[in-house]
Amino acid sequence: MNVEQVREFNTEKSIKETLNKNASMEAFHTKAHFWGRLTIWTVIALTLFLPIYLSFGLGYHPGWTVILNALAAYAGVVAVVWVLEPIMYFPILGVSGTYISFLTGNISNMCLPSAAAAQNAIGAEPGTEKGELTATLGIGAASLVNKLILIPIIIGGSVVIANIPQQLEGIFPLVLPAIFGAVLIQFAMKKPTYGVIALIIGLGVNLISMPIYLRSLICIVLVVLICIQLEKMKEKKQTL
Amino acid sequence: MQQVMELANSNVMWLVASIVISIVIFQSIKFIQLASKTGIEQGMSKKEINSALKTGAIAAIGPSVAIVIVAISLIAFLGNPLTLLRIGVIGSAPIESVGASFAAEASGATLGGAGYDQMAFTAIVWTLCIGGMGWLLFTALFTKSLGNTEKKLTSKGEKSKKTMGIISTAAIIAAFGNLVSAEIIQGLAPFAVAVAAGATMVIATKLSEKPKLSWLREWSLGLSILISLCFGYFFI
Repeated sequence: MNVEQVREFNTEKSIKETLNKNASMEAFHTKAHFWGRLTIWTVIALTLFLPIYLSFGLGYHPGWTVILNALAAYAGVVAVVWVLEPIMYFPILGVSGTYISFLTGNISNMCLPSAAAAQNAIGAEPGTEKGELTATLGIGAASLVNKLILIPIIIGGSVVIANIPQQLEGIFPLVLPAIFGAVLIQFAMKKPTYGVIALIIGLGVNLISMPIYLRSLICIVLVVLICIQLEKMKEKKQTL
Repeated sequence: MQQVMELANSNVMWLVASIVISIVIFQSIKFIQLASKTGIEQGMSKKEINSALKTGAIAAIGPSVAIVIVAISLIAFLGNPLTLLRIGVIGSAPIESVGASFAAEASGATLGGAGYDQMAFTAIVWTLCIGGMGWLLFTALFTKSLGNTEKKLTSKGEKSKKTMGIISTAAIIAAFGNLVSAEIIQGLAPFAVAVAAGATMVIATKLSEKPKLSWLREWSLGLSILISLCFGYFFI
């Protein structure tokens, strides 16, 4: 084989490999959609069954006016978030990460940090195939650990809590700043400019009074736009 | 109140709660299997896959304990199964208690107080179950279209793929910039804890660059939470 042939053979091989990789990712997404939807629809059906059974099976129906009033008030608080959160976090979580995160819950305080930590541990870039798979593995494991801790304590009940010393109770509100601070720095170490921009805009939106869901949205949109602009300017400089 | 708790802890409530939680666990296992298999096909090593799993698991310990502590406060008036059902599936304790008090109010009762009967409890179940369903419905209906949109955007070649990478990274940094800001403006203690957590993260990451200490990478988030909380203890 002369050099040219070898080279041709190699490109052919690498094209084949990329095709295989694309096909396996495609298959992964198809399966993720199937299992993700199946599990979520089943949970929807079950959580509908429960109130219907209490109302009409056991006869404790409180009346539709009461239910609608309560739901309207509640939806006023959460309805925007139903739509915004899945869209906002999609670039980070990907298809499979979205299905797990929105079923298991606690997205910002558990799923995102776990996904980020997992990506960081093995050096997978967010937004790539490897990044999405790593996020899924991290969130999947996090969800299992979460249930492992949740189930015995909820069943075993309040005994544990009654025995927590009072001095320790004051610490629990500090868990969130601890998680968020650590994760922000973890990223900021890789992209210091992004980190500074995010912190400045984050502080800005939090010091101006506006609904909570708007804060997150405005912050993400602004930071993304600024960062894209920055990268464009960097590229221009390099090509000059 | 006692009748309410009997209903809240009845067999039907337990049955539905256990099935739902089992489905959540099943889904996590299924997705881990799928992602591991695909990971190998994408050229990830077994070691990388295990490391991703381990890191995710460790990172979830701190948040989970905090979640459970808050969740316990709901048991007193929602009973164990409904609490499990609402906290184990999308939902968070503070927002659930808002929904519960709205529902109690609408039925002319106060949570765990005057007028809190089986009907008020049923109104709460309706509100919390349908309230939590919003996310599930949106995810079940629209994740596919979100995926297709992303695919369209990234299929235009290397450049759009790169932009997608910038968007993902910037989005996650922005999300945490906002979250951490909301916490640190609340006072000295959260501010000090956030700074300590960040500092621990810097040290842990630097140390983990040494080959001998590379295991630290899996523990860096867990360690940062733990050490900064110990530090925060002196501020409260």
